[in-house]
Amino acid sequence: MSTFIARRLLWSIPTLLGVTMLTFVLIHIAPGGPALALAGQRATPAQIAAVTHALGLDRPLYIQYARWLGALLHGDLGYSYVQQSPVALLVAQRLPQTLLLMGSALLASVVLAVPLGVYQAYRRNTTFDRVASVFVFLSWSMPTFWFGTILIAIFAVTLRWFPVGGLQTIDTTAFDWPTRIAHLVMPAATLAIVSVAGWSRYIRGSMIEQLREDYTRTAVAKGLSTRRVLFRHTLRNALIPFITLLGATIPALFGGAIITEQIFAYPGMGQLFWQSAIDRDYPTLLGMTVLTGVLVVLGNLFADVMYAVVDPRVRYD
Amino acid sequence: MIDALPDMTFVRRRIRLPWIAATCMAWVALVVLACALGPALLHVSAAATDVADAYAAPSAAHLLGTDGLGRDELARLLVGGRITLSVGAVAALVAMVIGTIYGSTAGYYGGWLDTLLMRVVDVFLSVPTLFLLLFLAAMFHGNLVTLMIVIGATSWLGPSRLVRGEVLTLKERLYVEAARSLGAGDGRIIFRHLIPNAAGTIITTTTFMVASAMLAETALSYLGIGVRAPMPSWGNLLSGAQSDIFAGAYWLILPPGLAILTTVCSFNFIGDWLRERQERALAES
Repeated sequence: MSTFIARRLLWSIPTLLGVTMLTFVLIHIAPGGPALALAGQRATPAQIAAVTHALGLDRPLYIQYARWLGALLHGDLGYSYVQQSPVALLVAQRLPQTLLLMGSALLASVVLAVPLGVYQAYRRNTTFDRVASVFVFLSWSMPTFWFGTILIAIFAVTLRWFPVGGLQTIDTTAFDWPTRIAHLVMPAATLAIVSVAGWSRYIRGSMIEQLREDYTRTAVAKGLSTRRVLFRHTLRNALIPFITLLGATIPALFGGAIITEQIFAYPGMGQLFWQSAIDRDYPTLLGMTVLTGVLVVLGNLFADVMYAVVDPRVRYD
Repeated sequence: MIDALPDMTFVRRRIRLPWIAATCMAWVALVVLACALGPALLHVSAAATDVADAYAAPSAAHLLGTDGLGRDELARLLVGGRITLSVGAVAALVAMVIGTIYGSTAGYYGGWLDTLLMRVVDVFLSVPTLFLLLFLAAMFHGNLVTLMIVIGATSWLGPSRLVRGEVLTLKERLYVEAARSLGAGDGRIIFRHLIPNAAGTIITTTTFMVASAMLAETALSYLGIGVRAPMPSWGNLLSGAQSDIFAGAYWLILPPGLAILTTVCSFNFIGDWLRERQERALAES
């Protein structure tokens, strides 16, 4: 098992290097570049040249890459000239909020998507299945921000159940869970809607496939209850490929967080990324891209390992 | 040189349309027609402002009311539909051309080239698409053409994987062997034999890509770096109406939202139906 993990870790190194190279290329095709940003819009060509030299931007590209990568390995994600702060600091303030949001959305998606998918598969091609499919497709095709706005209009403006946005009510200074959760419900629901749709569809398909297998027929023939067959036999097998899908959903969740955090003025990574894109704050954009890439690769690695843990047919060697 | 006939059985076979796919196709056709011809038939300008008549509720003069500048909402919806549909179609086309060429090259040549090309796809997949999209859209924020290219250039990863998988099985077929023994080169085999035979996968994926490209336009417009005002698109009509939601101007919020929802959903349903047909045809063969 440890050999398997070690091998998978080694395999993710080229991908990680690739992510840094992609990011580095993007830095260099970005117009303006750090020299112009630092020297200011009114700088003379000589001043820009001086800054370029001071930053080492006139060195050969591979040397620049090596130095940038070296800094990255020391935890230096770059420096935001717009916000006048190291990118790592900006990210450190916001990453926990986004992970909390993503975690809640992930949990909500699993809790809703798995039973829905199982039941749709069990009752496939019935009116329930068809109606549910239409709703699944509709929520899959909905612009996220529209859904978020509808939630705000209903639950915050009309019913006043939840606050409109933000991370915490402004006058609460202490960290208290009830207001925290109240501020989390609508953003998490907005972020979750797409994955609920996609996953329930996936579980449905995967369950239908498993329900055709011989072992299912055997389990039914043994006289086991429907519930036991569905949840103890079929679902377990249907969930195995789902683990990989979970890993692959992480980037989509980071992307979705951009829009969700924007709707609910939630101070996380997504909002920082959007603000940086509007300000053309390239160092921040790229620092965040590298960091997210690393998190995604690690997430996929974790999914692969889990896959091997739950499916004994996957060989470790 | 004899070229193998592309295996279009999934298109040609006797079509028994489920009502839902039929409805979706009819809806898409209707929307496309309305957006193409509507503005000319309507005799109302989408750009003419009339501040005295701002925020007017739907009436005989303005079937869907007017916006905050007194512009006719129906005219803007139809013109905006042209923009959003074109963005969806062109971006999907760009994604499919890149994805098809990339995927078929990887699948056909195999070996180290395949490994390398697919590793590159893994790298791109590790970065959230919306990050790349936002980064590129901020960098090249300008006209409609760059928007289409940027959306297309960030959505070819899925298609390239699907096409590669298809080509991996197709290249073992006898007609590829036959073409090669007749002296066909790699390029001819890929473009005249493999890609036409992968048409089923390519058409199905394109349908889904149109849907997701339209949603990408909407998302970027909401984030302020999509289609630029005053040019209307469904995305910026909808995001512009966000502030009108508290004023109760339902005629500004519902039409663009429903237009996006129903059209994107129709494309997804059509895609799903095509995929199901294809899988069934594969199982029967």
